[in-house]
Amino acid sequence: MSGLKLRFKAPATERINLAGITPSKLLALSSHEIARLNVGIEKGGVALGDAFDISGEAGETLTIEGATPAIDFVGDGLDSGTIRVVGNVGSFAARKMSGGKLEIHGDAGDYLASGSTGGMILVSGNAGDNLGGVETGERFGMLGGMAVIEGNIGARAGDKMRRGTVIVRGKTGPGAGSRMIGGTIWAEGGFGRDPGLMMRRGTLIGPSVESLLPTFVDCGKHDLVIIRVIARYLKSTLGDLAPKPMPLFVQKIGGDTATIGRGEILLPAG
Amino acid sequence: MSKTVNGITIDDTFAEAFGMSGTGIIITADSMKWAKIAATVATGFGTSVIGAGAECGIDKELTPEETPDGRPGVRILIFGFSPDALIPQVRNRIGQCVLTSPGSACYAGLKAEKTMPLGKGTRLFGDGYQTAKKLGDSRYWRIPVMDGEFIIEEDTGVTTDAVGGGNMLILGRDRAGLLETAEAAVEAIAKVDDVITPFPGGIVRSGSKVGAKYAGMHASSNDAFCPTLRGTIKHSELAPDTLAVLEIVIDGLTSKAVADAMRIGLKAVTDIGAKRGVTRITAGNYGGKLGQHHYHLKDLI
Repeated sequence: MSGLKLRFKAPATERINLAGITPSKLLALSSHEIARLNVGIEKGGVALGDAFDISGEAGETLTIEGATPAIDFVGDGLDSGTIRVVGNVGSFAARKMSGGKLEIHGDAGDYLASGSTGGMILVSGNAGDNLGGVETGERFGMLGGMAVIEGNIGARAGDKMRRGTVIVRGKTGPGAGSRMIGGTIWAEGGFGRDPGLMMRRGTLIGPSVESLLPTFVDCGKHDLVIIRVIARYLKSTLGDLAPKPMPLFVQKIGGDTATIGRGEILLPAG
Repeated sequence: MSKTVNGITIDDTFAEAFGMSGTGIIITADSMKWAKIAATVATGFGTSVIGAGAECGIDKELTPEETPDGRPGVRILIFGFSPDALIPQVRNRIGQCVLTSPGSACYAGLKAEKTMPLGKGTRLFGDGYQTAKKLGDSRYWRIPVMDGEFIIEEDTGVTTDAVGGGNMLILGRDRAGLLETAEAAVEAIAKVDDVITPFPGGIVRSGSKVGAKYAGMHASSNDAFCPTLRGTIKHSELAPDTLAVLEIVIDGLTSKAVADAMRIGLKAVTDIGAKRGVTRITAGNYGGKLGQHHYHLKDLI
């Protein structure tokens, strides 16, 4: 693949912060300037060229090889182009991403897609806690875009998420959709314990849920047109990556009635 | 110089059409029957901008694969003087005729740079219980109604490159045969995408001229083409054997679509018209000074 390639020189002496390292930003810099970018978190700093072997020319694609969970903020601020990561990454990947594509061939850490407003995130492995969740001091978690996680995800996914779509091939941890304001989480492997704590709006779709909070209520079985619209949209956007369509009849569990209760958990009507 | 095709005289004249604004809307339902009912009602009383406020019609039927929700649907087109003039038309027609129709849903039916509200006003029918779902660039409103949820997209596209008033006048010596021929032309035109024929069944029998002798009348009967006046008025355009005249009016989202529709309509008339008593085809214009679009019949044969 053409474009710049970064090969991580392990082991790292400190955590690596790749915030703002995006194809469009690197395109504007000379190779000398790229190598001098600070990616460390401590006082002395770590130059990009010291932490990574750099090869290729800056272009639409940035490839990061040999990634480890010591690397945080991969794809932070990504607005266009593609970042392709081979290996696992740390926390805050795709933070405030607004466009383009982030492919992680491995696992992602906590706070994946926090504050992201657009673009496509593909994770071939698992993702940690607070996927699409709100960062301390901010009002909202994920605000747009799409994330597809082939594995399982941790706790409290979509905490204060407002818009956007998360597809999980596996299962979610406990508390998915907590304080959710909008958006969609579709977990093909089902939801863990107590999803939707203090959820205002938003949609959780899946085949099963481990346990429900007492403030969620059964709204009956319905043939919801919006399920068809979501399924059709995902099919056109994701192709083969789209989740298998839900049965046309779904059981709607409404909540959280401890707040305004306009959210919903949609399960197959059985 | 007029031409003769299959025994039918084609006048050397042109249809004069006007620039308009147009929008497309997809209406779906549980069955094609109900999608068509909603679409037919929503496009009702939508013949002429002059009296009806908008010119509306069904463009085409859509298979479940072609609609955003995988159910059968139809695409309707609505034309008006300006995007602003379309806003209340769309709001009222959708609010009264589609929202109310069992099982219906309503989506943008035109992708264009400019957008106009589709469900922005109608969503308030939800009285606070409505919720939105944004998928990609589209926002869908879910309005609780008594048979489930009414889904309506927030915006639809609007174009100011639309054309209204492409037309042809078909003259004949047999009223039944003339109507049959005009019906065949409308049927052929229906197969062209992005156009509608907004009048009843696509056919107008009361072609109009601009102005009238009475104050306050913007349009009045096209006396030159009224067969019963032949002989008593000096400016009659009709030959002694003409018994009736029918007009087909075409609105389209693009000038090309209108030209294509006219071409196909003219072909349908010349193919079958002679046997059914059609003698002549002409077109309506105002001397070329009022409308920006001129469709010369000789170019379309």
